[in-house]
Amino acid sequence: MSLPDLVLSIADNKQMLGLRYAEWATRAPSLEADIAAAAMGLDDLGHSRVLYGCLEPLGADPRGPERESDAGSLRNLAYFDQPWSEWSQFVAANAILDTAFTVMIEACVGGSVEVLQHRLRKMLMEERYHFLHGRSWLRSGIDKEPLERAWREAIEFFGPPDGETETLRRDGKLSMGPAQQRRRLEEQLEARAPRVDIDWKAWDPIRRRTARGAIDEHTFGMLRGLEEKKYAPTAAKG
Amino acid sequence: MTPGYKRVSGDAVEYEVFARKSRVEALHLVGSVVAPDDDLAMAYARATYDEERWCEMAIVRKEHVIELWQPGEA
Repeated sequence: MSLPDLVLSIADNKQMLGLRYAEWATRAPSLEADIAAAAMGLDDLGHSRVLYGCLEPLGADPRGPERESDAGSLRNLAYFDQPWSEWSQFVAANAILDTAFTVMIEACVGGSVEVLQHRLRKMLMEERYHFLHGRSWLRSGIDKEPLERAWREAIEFFGPPDGETETLRRDGKLSMGPAQQRRRLEEQLEARAPRVDIDWKAWDPIRRRTARGAIDEHTFGMLRGLEEKKYAPTAAKG
Repeated sequence: MTPGYKRVSGDAVEYEVFARKSRVEALHLVGSVVAPDDDLAMAYARATYDEERWCEMAIVRKEHVIELWQPGEA
């Protein structure tokens, strides 16, 4: 797992987070929350574009042709595999996973790689409002199940204690390794992570997850532009 | 709109949103949001009124605004 692999993982996760947020733009509990879901979705889709744009300057773009045909080649966490059916799932993702991605971006900005230092800094300012939104809704109380799942997947995203993410920290490319990132997330959320036992042997270092599976067919089709074709005039269909 | 209409319900309160585009311009009212706390109100204000390139944005609880007079009273 190289630094470009890690950046691609953040980009894919931000893209999926943005899409899942956007799905709630007319289903949230209030008009303001609808608008916030849409705005945060746009932010995260924009962030994913910036992150994809960093791959070439980093010297290696790990995206291969399999991404066009195999949903399992995308590097999103399992939390984003299916659309969320409950507002609690939205809140847990907003408070915990979105903040976990921000912590990883902080580690990139604080590291020694110039392109990441410069291009990712603005994201941290925009993410402040995602954090305020998520933390406030989290304080109002949500179901335990999505909360524990989000914590587990955040810890999986940070990676094993002595894995390659920690090596990137030792090399100075990241300012925080998995242990520091977890502490930072706990400080931010003013909460301790629940006790989770992760089988790191089953952990996929490319997709940063232990669960198998992939995003749903409809979302994958949308990402590839296939859904748009369904609505195109007959003559334009190829 | 019905006189006296309030969008607020439950624990939520109304916040006025102020912004300006440049330092030489005064802050002016751009709208309002309803939220149960200041953090969420900040997130909502930024999401709702972010279509302009504001150099400053601030919110204030509507109940903290002291009115001197209202339309028709001056």
